[in-house]
Amino acid sequence: MSDRVKVFAADGISKVYTIGDIEVHALRSISFAIENGEYVAIMGPSGSGKSTLMHIMGCLDRPTSGSMYLRGKDVSSLSDGDLAEIRNAEIGFVFQNFNLLPNISILENVELPMIYAGVPPKERRARAVRALEMVGLGDRLHHKPSEVSGGQRQRASIARAIVNRPAIVLADEPTGNLDSVTGTEIMELFDELNANGNTIILVTHERDVAEHASRIIHILDGRVDRVEVRTQENGSGVQAGEAVDV
Amino acid sequence: MNLIEFFKIALGSLSTNKLRTALSLLGIIIGVASVITLVSIGTGAQEQVTSQIGAMGSNLITVSPGFIRGGGGRVSQDIANVFTLEMAKAIQNLSPNIQHVVPTSTTSGLAVYGGNNVRVQISGVTPEYQEVINHYPVIGRYIRDQDVANNEKIAVLGWEVAEDLFGSENPVGKAMRVVIGGRSLSLTVVGVMEAKGQVMMANYDNRIYVPVTMLLNRGLNSRYVDGYSIMAASRDAAKSVVEEVEAFMTRMLGDSDRFRVMSQDTILEAVSQATGTMTLMLGAIASISLLVGGIGIMNIMLVTVSERTREIGIRKAVGAKRQHILAQFLLESVLLSVFGGLLGLAVGWGGGYWISKALGWPFSVSIPAVMVAIGFSAGVGLFFGIYPALQAASLDPVVALRYE
Repeated sequence: MSDRVKVFAADGISKVYTIGDIEVHALRSISFAIENGEYVAIMGPSGSGKSTLMHIMGCLDRPTSGSMYLRGKDVSSLSDGDLAEIRNAEIGFVFQNFNLLPNISILENVELPMIYAGVPPKERRARAVRALEMVGLGDRLHHKPSEVSGGQRQRASIARAIVNRPAIVLADEPTGNLDSVTGTEIMELFDELNANGNTIILVTHERDVAEHASRIIHILDGRVDRVEVRTQENGSGVQAGEAVDV
Repeated sequence: MNLIEFFKIALGSLSTNKLRTALSLLGIIIGVASVITLVSIGTGAQEQVTSQIGAMGSNLITVSPGFIRGGGGRVSQDIANVFTLEMAKAIQNLSPNIQHVVPTSTTSGLAVYGGNNVRVQISGVTPEYQEVINHYPVIGRYIRDQDVANNEKIAVLGWEVAEDLFGSENPVGKAMRVVIGGRSLSLTVVGVMEAKGQVMMANYDNRIYVPVTMLLNRGLNSRYVDGYSIMAASRDAAKSVVEEVEAFMTRMLGDSDRFRVMSQDTILEAVSQATGTMTLMLGAIASISLLVGGIGIMNIMLVTVSERTREIGIRKAVGAKRQHILAQFLLESVLLSVFGGLLGLAVGWGGGYWISKALGWPFSVSIPAVMVAIGFSAGVGLFFGIYPALQAASLDPVVALRYE
């Protein structure tokens, strides 16, 4: 796997928030890399800094120090406008609470990233329909998000995440608002997407969600605590966190 | 991302909350409608007044006494007492462009017939006056040259005077009395003027016309008239006539401050300036409501932004740039105000039409006023939309996504 292209790399990422006079170190020099087509989970308890990490990996936020590479490009000090372009082209977000726009149809929600990418309407529609068919929502195109079930909403948001063919799909507690049966279905969808070559990054605190990934990066107190490599056969193998280099 | 996409998004979110959109539209509708209505009424009034002045004959020139400055508000006798009947003849001979010169003397008095009496304006004039002010008798006749030459005690009544004094009786041939100051004159009615109504500030229907010589000699015991009404050969000639008369009067009186020569065009100019100012003022007052409407839009847009913080976060997460969000919200407020402006235009147009009809004025919507109102409302949308749109655009996506 090591000779494959690194789609994402973090090199000594730190994030410091200043609240009043107090400095909060949310991330302390985190380094790791993710290869193209990999299935990775980032695990950690609340307060571990995994949300901050997810925001930085998703280019919603910039690290205080350190570098971050997406498809080999340094994105850690880009302008807001350039970050928006990166988010649009390279990142697919799947949120715990779906974050679909309530007043437009599911189809239009999936078209949204392509609108900002400047994809012509015809192609946009065709691609959105294909993505929705892929997640099993081909018969719900014109429903509003409020008219479908939670599982279907999450499928729609997954379709939105993959429709622009991003470098990474970043899923933040994707099953957090779903019952266990629906949650399992959604996780199966992620497995399928990964089998089709999508790079998936799950951010979660749930062990059974993380276990779908082939590698689990454990975050604790803003640091990489340990990295757990899992194989299809035996389930898991554990590595020390320091062993990972960029 | 092209403009059509922005329009779709903006229209989509405006139609989401229809009641709110309608209410914020209302502010702009009222603003624009009141601008259009008031300005069109103003221009209607202007046209009305202008056409009235035009009806009096655009080649009319009046010579009247000058003001004395610092005289404690008194118009001096000395100044008035220079307009003689002889001078009228001298002016007549100044230029072939001068058709008529009518010496006029006006006083007020009480007209009495039988048990009726009415307060009237008594105008001493010569026969040419009917042509000069374009006002003719409908019953009987007007003053004649021999009436003036012989100080005849006759009168031609204004329409209202005839009605008030004589009712349904035919006044022609009847004797009436006119009380001027302490004197009472017995006059024979020879004619009744056509109804002319209120022209400018003057009511021509509550006057009686008498020979100017008779009024001076028998009524006022004076040699001097109030001024002259001059009829120029044409409107174009009026200007040169004004200059000639001014030069002549200055020579005669030795001082150009002691009299004023005004052509109808000068009056027209002064009046349209005054009504123009009034129109402008009405428009300015109405603009205040447009401003209030704009503040309403800003208010609603600020609410919208905070309400849609999450939407902004989602849009930013999937790749919307600052300028996309800015354009989206700005377009929304501009659409709101332009749409309101168009509706307001329709309402104002209708309102102006009905009010003008009710007042009997000519209806006129000035195209500049329409363009200003529409442009101004778009400007209002832009101006009051900028702040909320900037707020929206500058939201931090992380914060916006967390917003509940």
